[in-house]
Amino acid sequence: MRHAGPEALFYEEDKQMDATTAMYVAQGIHGLAYGMVLFLVASGLTLIFGMMGILNVAHTAFFMLAAYFCYQIVAWTGNFWLALLVAPIATAVVGVLVERFLLRRIHALGLLFELTLTIGVMFGIMEGVKVFWGTENLPLAVPALLEGLVNIGGMEYPIYRLFIIGLSLVVLGFLAFILYKTRLGMVVRAAVADADMVNALGINVPRLFMFVFGVGTWLAGMAGVTIAPILTVFPGLADQMGMDAFIVVIVGGFGSLGGALLVALISGLLSSYGVQFVSQLAPVLMFIFMAIVLAIKPTGLFGEREG
Amino acid sequence: MKKRVKGIVWGVILVVLLLYPWLFGIYFTNVFVTFAIFALFAVSYNLLLGYTGLFSFGHAMFFGAGGYATALALTHIKGCPLLVALLFGFLGAVALALLLSPIVARLAHSAFAMLHLAFSMLLYTLALKLRGITGGEDGIGGFPIPPFHIPGVVSVDMTDPLNFYYFAMAVLGGSLWIAWFLTKTPFGQIIVSVRDNAKRVDYLGFKVPHTKAIIYALSCGFAGIAGSIYAMFQDLISASALGIAQSFAPIVMTMVGGVIAFSGPIWGAGIFALIEELTTRYTERVQLVEGLILIIVILFFPGGFVHLLAVVKGKWLEFMRGKGSGLITGTWFGKKSRKKTTEGNA
Repeated sequence: MRHAGPEALFYEEDKQMDATTAMYVAQGIHGLAYGMVLFLVASGLTLIFGMMGILNVAHTAFFMLAAYFCYQIVAWTGNFWLALLVAPIATAVVGVLVERFLLRRIHALGLLFELTLTIGVMFGIMEGVKVFWGTENLPLAVPALLEGLVNIGGMEYPIYRLFIIGLSLVVLGFLAFILYKTRLGMVVRAAVADADMVNALGINVPRLFMFVFGVGTWLAGMAGVTIAPILTVFPGLADQMGMDAFIVVIVGGFGSLGGALLVALISGLLSSYGVQFVSQLAPVLMFIFMAIVLAIKPTGLFGEREG
Repeated sequence: MKKRVKGIVWGVILVVLLLYPWLFGIYFTNVFVTFAIFALFAVSYNLLLGYTGLFSFGHAMFFGAGGYATALALTHIKGCPLLVALLFGFLGAVALALLLSPIVARLAHSAFAMLHLAFSMLLYTLALKLRGITGGEDGIGGFPIPPFHIPGVVSVDMTDPLNFYYFAMAVLGGSLWIAWFLTKTPFGQIIVSVRDNAKRVDYLGFKVPHTKAIIYALSCGFAGIAGSIYAMFQDLISASALGIAQSFAPIVMTMVGGVIAFSGPIWGAGIFALIEELTTRYTERVQLVEGLILIIVILFFPGGFVHLLAVVKGKWLEFMRGKGSGLITGTWFGKKSRKKTTEGNA
């Protein structure tokens, strides 16, 4: 396939076709990898929202916190794999503590207070990491096993990005299995639909909330750890991702995992190809997409209720 | 008797405001102007949140729109009078609000909040990218501040901080009074009903989306005035005035001051001005302190500083029966009504 684009001019004449195709594929991989990480963040957000009705503003602060945990664990032990395992769990523990000791106490007051409380938690975490780790960029090396490029079908792919896509798919599969094939998942889905009724059936809904909040922050933590070697660890890490994750959740429909997946991938591809073709407008594309979707369908693409 | 006490209190406040620059010096005068700007900004936000039950993540875009409109008017229109520049700020914000209202007035709750986040980020990005108009990261600065001029009567130089203080106080105080008066009119009652039970308001024959659109435009207009004064005060407006941090400021101030009272956001703005003044001397992490205070306030005094005042005065019971009752029974921002059976008679 021959793609004619302005960037084709930059490549050698005889290699033009290959180079252009390779560029498309490379951008596609970048987009998919970013989209999958975005999905990890957004899935936690949408799970928490769907179940508890809380727009967790602090979610991306947890995402960033996990990256810092990862940096710290690598600094102590030098083992990225250990960090991949431990950092998200540590983040989830923080999340569970926030739910148990802060959010649950004011649940009766309603969403406004829970939401603003998460704003406070976000300020706390965002500024807290600066106190502990400072404000500079902390580099984190890609583990030796995943460095470099791999050659598949005559094309070079960066291994680490493929690893991100693979890992996200594993997490996604795991999540889907829990949600759709186990009793626990059934209860969670029922609570997303109607928490009061599930409570009436004798299930400990507050404990379920705590569990879901923990899983949600764990997902954010996974995303934070996987993205840390690419973007390095710095206090502004949460900003870009946070905005994108919120947009994904809204456009996909609150509480809809499938919607989040679809929109996360669209968002990732839109941003990577957007930078390629309309670099001036790239940051705006997603907002325009969101405004159009919401103006037509206020509940998002797959949402059934308004948040 | 009570009326007389109130009159005396207001008189004292007025005298203190008049003498303030002489009592505290020029530095604290500027601190006070910043506080007053944010007080109006937070009050305009509370017209949406506390009174109409609309939670927005992007109120800064109207603040910024007002600021940019004023800055652009002063830069490009030769000899633009002071009040016309202020009017530009107000109208700029209102125009933006009217542009958005067909979309947002139909929404509520999270969709409303998030759509504002999206639009404000859109404007923020545009303000950074459209260098030719907005000056990019540097923003627009160094525009001339015209004197307050009434032909043949008076002409006051506004570059003097003292004169600007009185001008800003008059505009901001006047706007606050108008906003307060608005909440006491029948229209002010309707917007509260929209918050508590939009369906019932609809049955009573009021048009809910129109009502929302009107209060939305007014609230944004007040935010625009705050932004306009801010731009003139700093002689600079940059994209950070549109940013997400600027949108969080009125939310946090309103919650800490008290979402259930008109005076709440003013208290909140005052508390945060005080915190910033005190903590910046010891630490760079002002937001950490602010976040912790927000958490503590919401956990223990969900009604904010106004709630705390009621507790201190020992009028807790009356508070919870009066204004504070909204905390438990009000249908705030997507909260499911706890009393489904009595909703019909409520």
